[in-house]
Amino acid sequence: MVLETAIEILLNGLQQGAIFALLGIGLSVILGTMDFLNLAHGALYLIGGYAGMYFIRETSLSAGYLNSIGVDAIGLGLGFAAAMILVPVFGFIVGLLMERYVAEPFYDRPETDQLLVTFGLALIVQEVIKGMLGGNTFQPTAPTTLFGINVGGPVMLPIIGNYPQWRLYLVGIALFVIGLTYLVIEKTDFGLVVQAGTHDSEMVRMLGIRINRSYSLVFAMGAALAAFAGLIGVSFQTVSPQIGTERALIPAFLVLVVGGAGSVIGAIFGGFVLGITVAGMTVLASQWAQIVLYAVAAGVLLFRPEGLFGSKGVVE
Amino acid sequence: MSLLEVDRIDAYYGQSHILRDLSLEIEDGEVCALLGRNGAGKTTTLRCVAGATPPDVRSGEIRFDGDEVVGRETEDVSISGIGLVPEERRIFPNLTVEENLHLAEVSRNSSNLIGRNLSQVSETRPLREIYDAFPRLDDRQNQMAGTLSGGEQQMLAIARALRQNPRLLMLDEPYEGLAPQIIEDVEDAIRRISEEGTTVLLVEQNAAAAIKIAERCYIVDQGEIVYEGPSEELRADEETRQRYLGV
Ligand SMILES: Nc1ncnc2c1ncn2[C@@H]1O[C@H](COP(=O)(O)OP(=O)(O)OP(=O)(O)O)[C@@H](O)[C@H]1O
Ligand SMILES: [Mg+2]
Repeated sequence: MVLETAIEILLNGLQQGAIFALLGIGLSVILGTMDFLNLAHGALYLIGGYAGMYFIRETSLSAGYLNSIGVDAIGLGLGFAAAMILVPVFGFIVGLLMERYVAEPFYDRPETDQLLVTFGLALIVQEVIKGMLGGNTFQPTAPTTLFGINVGGPVMLPIIGNYPQWRLYLVGIALFVIGLTYLVIEKTDFGLVVQAGTHDSEMVRMLGIRINRSYSLVFAMGAALAAFAGLIGVSFQTVSPQIGTERALIPAFLVLVVGGAGSVIGAIFGGFVLGITVAGMTVLASQWAQIVLYAVAAGVLLFRPEGLFGSKGVVE
Repeated sequence: MSLLEVDRIDAYYGQSHILRDLSLEIEDGEVCALLGRNGAGKTTTLRCVAGATPPDVRSGEIRFDGDEVVGRETEDVSISGIGLVPEERRIFPNLTVEENLHLAEVSRNSSNLIGRNLSQVSETRPLREIYDAFPRLDDRQNQMAGTLSGGEQQMLAIARALRQNPRLLMLDEPYEGLAPQIIEDVEDAIRRISEEGTTVLLVEQNAAAAIKIAERCYIVDQGEIVYEGPSEELRADEETRQRYLGV
């Protein structure tokens, strides 16, 4: 019984943790390299979620502006596999535009200006989506087949018995993407510049490197990962305009505090720690789940203000 | 034409006027020292030459190999042949020795160079030559730079700048905080660099240390050049040293 609960917590925690990690990587690396705290990061998750829904299936509308002008349903119905390609590409493009037109003009402005403009953007995205599609909550859609493989239905696991098969696949897919990101940061010249830049971007420039180019790429990559997280979320959690803040920005920010600014490994570690914490608390005392997340982050902040893997303070 | 000409610059941090009508010239191939007390404006001068901001150069010109530096991005100035070993070293502690040295190579990637208005970009200096010159780094290629000793970090900072194969190498108080034995190693390294044809601008507070390797010295005081002459002359001129350097 205890073992059964523990395994279930672990599995749920891995799913939640994978999403947190995908979100945290972008937020953390963008803060680390550009000293830019992007409060619109959650909006990218939101965009990824809705874009995912749009690419995957036909969704019927019952509220919002589009419905009021006679649109009953939207969506391309391309399926999950197509969305796995299209959503990150879309997120990447949105990230490039966001860096160019929102973030870059604010790099040299005070932090409060950066926070205000990105938070404003997050609200605009949320409200536009709400206005167009209504504030309804949409149900998740898990794929049943992916690239010809059956991923739907239950699977028989030892000890806990039947478990939705897709939940295991989604962890695998997320881990694959996280691993790929880790390799890009650790093994490529681009990653080297990013890592050096999180520490001392002026010194990187003094070695002849135009770091601005890496900035745009970092931003776009972070956005693509956040959008991808949104797509993963759509496959097992409900979708509504608030998820950008509640399920993405706040957890990502806590991941950042735990893992430390600029550290990919920190974001991955922080993501899974918080994911498993949330899953555990949801089973044991669900009313405390959110509070405990904050408590973990506050504890780290108290004893290691730079985060477990960071090299400089997150909150300065 | 001198390799570097700093021509009557005035530089500011915000409202504070730091460098006043400051001029200096560095000849191709020489070792020149810039001396001055704490806060005299030595680091500020190097930052101006490196094209770093702040400070803000509001008047005057800086020409490197005939090309204007003021107003260019610091990465463009650097890649045109100016290497800096900064105060505090500023190695990347989260990267290995090898990775620190690899960044100069990355700066030559076409994805970095394309679309930038650069005249000539030299090849980097081969890694093997760098390790031959700094055997202690050779032994520690895969060590995290943050775990190196102070002396090793200084060697790495110099090696990193040399890897860029600069025509002008600027060193900002390279002996700071080092034991006498290590200071000798750094001195040897600078001599070797110079013998291989690289022009050197050495910033120091300590006249004796600078005179040992520089042929010519400038003294800056409160943002103005107050002395210029051969090292031999400064060695003999106790009054000037006393007045501007307090030694
Ligand atoms: N970023 C900055 N903002 C404002 N003032 C600065 C800044 N950096 C330096 N200064 C001021 O400019 C003056 C010159 O400083 P600089 O660092 O050039 O001196 P220095 O000769 O290198 O001294 P030291 O030997 O102590 O390194 C000092 O009065 C210093 O306080
Ligand atoms: Mg200085």
